[in-house]
Amino acid sequence: MKNKTAVYPFAAIVGQDKLKLALILNIINPTLSGVLIRGEKGTAKSTAVRALADILPEIEVIRGDPFGLSPDEAEIYEDLSIALGRPVTSPPVFERRKVRVVELPVGATEDRVVGSMDLERALKTGEKRVEPGLLAQAHRGILYVDEVNLLDDHVVDVLLDSAAMGVNTLEREGVSFSHPASFTLVGTMNPEEGELRPQLLDRFGLCVNVGGLTDLDSRVEVLERRARFDSDPEGLALEFAGRSQQIADSIQRARQLIGQVEIDRDSLYKIARFSLELGVDGHRGDIIILKAAKTLAAYRNRTKVEASDIQEAAELALPHRVRRQPLMEISDNLQSVRRAGARAEGTGA
Amino acid sequence: MTRPLYPLAAVVGQKELVKALILCAINPSIGGVLIRGEKGTAKSTAARGLSEILPPVYPLADRAFKAGYFGSAGPFERLGPEALNPTGFTDARPESNRPLETAPAPFLTLPLNATEDRVAGGLDLGEALATGCRRLAPGLLAQAHQGILYVDEVNLLDDHLVDLILDAASSGVNRLEREGLSLSHPARFVLVGTMNPEEGELRPQFLDRFGLSVKVESESDLDLRVELMLRREAFDASPVAFRNIYQAQTQKLRQKLLAAAERLPHLMIPISIRKLASHLAKEHNVAGHRADLIIERAAAALAAWNGMEQVTEIEVIEVAPLVLAHRQREAVPPKPQEQPDRSKSSEQQQQDDQPEPSQSPDSSDQQDRQNQPDTKEQPESSQPENTDSSQDSQPQSKVNAPADSAETSQAPAQATEIAAETVFEVGPTFGVVPIRSPFDRIRRKGSGRRSRSRIIQKQGRYVKSGPDRGSGDIAIDATIRAAAPYQLNREKRPGLTVAIEPPDFREAIREKKMGNYLFFTVDASGSMGARGRMAASKGAVMSLLLDAYQKRDQVALITFRRDQAQVNLPLTSSIDLAGKLLAEMPVGGRTPLSSALTVTSREVRNALSKNPLARPIVIIITDGRGNVSLEENVNPVKEALRLAEVMTREKRVKYIVVDTEEPGAVTFGLAQKLADKLLAVYLKTENLKSKTLVDLVKNDSFFS
Repeated sequence: MKNKTAVYPFAAIVGQDKLKLALILNIINPTLSGVLIRGEKGTAKSTAVRALADILPEIEVIRGDPFGLSPDEAEIYEDLSIALGRPVTSPPVFERRKVRVVELPVGATEDRVVGSMDLERALKTGEKRVEPGLLAQAHRGILYVDEVNLLDDHVVDVLLDSAAMGVNTLEREGVSFSHPASFTLVGTMNPEEGELRPQLLDRFGLCVNVGGLTDLDSRVEVLERRARFDSDPEGLALEFAGRSQQIADSIQRARQLIGQVEIDRDSLYKIARFSLELGVDGHRGDIIILKAAKTLAAYRNRTKVEASDIQEAAELALPHRVRRQPLMEISDNLQSVRRAGARAEGTGA
Repeated sequence: MTRPLYPLAAVVGQKELVKALILCAINPSIGGVLIRGEKGTAKSTAARGLSEILPPVYPLADRAFKAGYFGSAGPFERLGPEALNPTGFTDARPESNRPLETAPAPFLTLPLNATEDRVAGGLDLGEALATGCRRLAPGLLAQAHQGILYVDEVNLLDDHLVDLILDAASSGVNRLEREGLSLSHPARFVLVGTMNPEEGELRPQFLDRFGLSVKVESESDLDLRVELMLRREAFDASPVAFRNIYQAQTQKLRQKLLAAAERLPHLMIPISIRKLASHLAKEHNVAGHRADLIIERAAAALAAWNGMEQVTEIEVIEVAPLVLAHRQREAVPPKPQEQPDRSKSSEQQQQDDQPEPSQSPDSSDQQDRQNQPDTKEQPESSQPENTDSSQDSQPQSKVNAPADSAETSQAPAQATEIAAETVFEVGPTFGVVPIRSPFDRIRRKGSGRRSRSRIIQKQGRYVKSGPDRGSGDIAIDATIRAAAPYQLNREKRPGLTVAIEPPDFREAIREKKMGNYLFFTVDASGSMGARGRMAASKGAVMSLLLDAYQKRDQVALITFRRDQAQVNLPLTSSIDLAGKLLAEMPVGGRTPLSSALTVTSREVRNALSKNPLARPIVIIITDGRGNVSLEENVNPVKEALRLAEVMTREKRVKYIVVDTEEPGAVTFGLAQKLADKLLAVYLKTENLKSKTLVDLVKNDSFFS
């Protein structure tokens, strides 16, 4: 991210349309609460996430604030800064910067994730100060966890807490502190190395299964582009700059449009039937389909949700929510999503 | 951090949940609500919404706590400053003539990684450093006073914290003895815990201490689902506008709650109601007397909510399910002396269509019934979601009652002819011998209860601190706390405000949430179906699973039959799920033992890469008669034994082989050979029972 030349251009990723779509939808609408990318090694999972830097929109933040607070959150800026022992600029100055992608390494210790007491400060000045962790950085951004299924259980607990509330609460080691931490959780995993806990699985709004490309031409294309990227990253970036910009523009447009997207009552019933047919736990599935369908409509430059949006949204939102028995693969679930879609359509007409 | 709350009045459906929350709000000494249920069913939304309709309280800012203002402004409980024992406070000077400000009732979320000092309270660090005074800083229990303490996924919380919280919730008092300070302060709060049973159960002793429990499910009504989506969207789009719509309703709820709380102390409770409560508790086989008391309290709260003068039977009946659901004991365990009678009457039972879970496989002196499989399906085995994909293509006949499977044991000749797959009932369960990994010098300490070990590296959850033993993992806060009181008298080094001397050092004691990993590799081949062995084996595995549940292990279930082994359940804390799968595990086909060993070791390796400190235990349940090899033209038994030898190279894994071969004239002893190669502990099914092996296990070298 820091070194712009080293980022593989988002538009240069061959195939993997679903993966790209899921990521784009999440950028347009952060309330979709993330995407889980499941797939074998070497299927452009990480590349796609890192390439996001290419197309991320800019947001307005308070300058010098580690949380990247928005103008709406300015009221808590002062309190947070004081708790951190940081200088407060009053009134706060705003600046624009790109949405951040914060990477959470699998081996991260809990105190690095949630924050901890600032030891240096405590010893030097005798003051109790908080040193913010990765969750603070990830506020309003994307929290990327590679190999999320290998994450330590207690770090997962912390993530769940924050993802659920949009707030990270620190009650440990003599420190009591909470700060906003609403982030888009993007996780990648290789299912061969074990499944995710159902609780965490449910926190991901969308889920895509990626596989290797089967089309020979595309595979060759992948090789060629990769070779180009390795030898001349800037050239490749330049070549795809236009297309990446296009995507970035449509994201920006969709972000403005999404508030106007409407959905009719029949479609809502269709969504509800979808989840019922599949026996999805809870109501989060319904809500995510609704949000994803609206976001899709906005991305497609429409202000009305169409049936195809719902079908597409369901295929992204439901695979990992279908109550599945352990042997049933998540990719199999996709079939049942399609079947349920057909049934929901049938009974709905 | 405050975010706009979703109003309680706008929660769609979930009537029972809302009722339970309100009852606890009317009378917090009911002891809290445990919400069990699926993900995404308004659990936390409802609990948060409740905080909005609670009456305002005195703000429990640090200052108020110090000064001893520690009561409610509402009618719930008027605790004057004199009700406090201010011993712990250095400047406890109640300024009783100053008017007190009020604030909304607190809603506190307990993060799963909270440490004890923050939950119960501890030395005020800032104050101690600045002034050298020892004073207590309030913990979450104090802050939650007169409000709500919300614990998401309470089943994942560390045991000692659960203990602490439940103690305070039921007594209304938090007793603090820390760092030379002692204090007890009122802590009356509505405890709301949520859990998802998929993640493992809460231990029974904790279960019992939650006053009420509610099971929440998603709405199956289409209209409600749509309504729910609409409201959620409206709320997300504009929380403020949405809240305005429901403001009148919220206000009504608030007043009704207030009125109910005021009415509660004056309510009449006829003696007949007490009798009914006790009767209900007894009827439902509930342990102890807590249930009676809570039924009474909850019924009174409900009567108050309904605006009545007197508690009637109707309220008792209405609240009873909330109180009893999580306290009801499972079926009484089988009594050994019943066995002869039972086998005599088993035919009778079958005609009565009475499934008998406590049937023993030993009592198998009945005639052969195998050719008349009962077509009736067991209710618990009829769920289609649990049939695996490979099964779908197979016709499947289910042998019904345990009496059947016990009786099949009388047909050895026909047993081998079981062509279709069969699902055998789970045999009786029993207490199992202790199974632990060997104790070593590595400090790793899981929160489970199987193998003792501590965590030494700076990883895992910091639970508390202890004296320094030179691990290098200094608990900063505890160290400073220890040093704080001496700061005024100590000479500071230049640049540093805090002088710390070696005796102050405190070391972090960390727990790593891991328990043990248990891998069950179960032989489901046709040969296991013979002579009722499968029922007994399933009983044995179930016993081990129950044990694993109590020990907070994670289990994986691997079965092998036909051509290869498969992972039916990857490593999970959900023992429930493992049990369910086990009960429905079909039996049939050949015995791919080699495949089982390779799959198992792959799973073990994955687990070890996640947690290198784990000491997995692999329990292989088989008769050892492998007859499918991985490579062609290789003797399957020899191949399996060779694989077994290779598997012992991973020294972190311990193996246990449970031999299911029936004792008889012709035995192969193949499982014994397998055990030898694996350097495994070899047990016969019947030897798993704890009684018979007590002596063996006392020997610490048993598993090393």
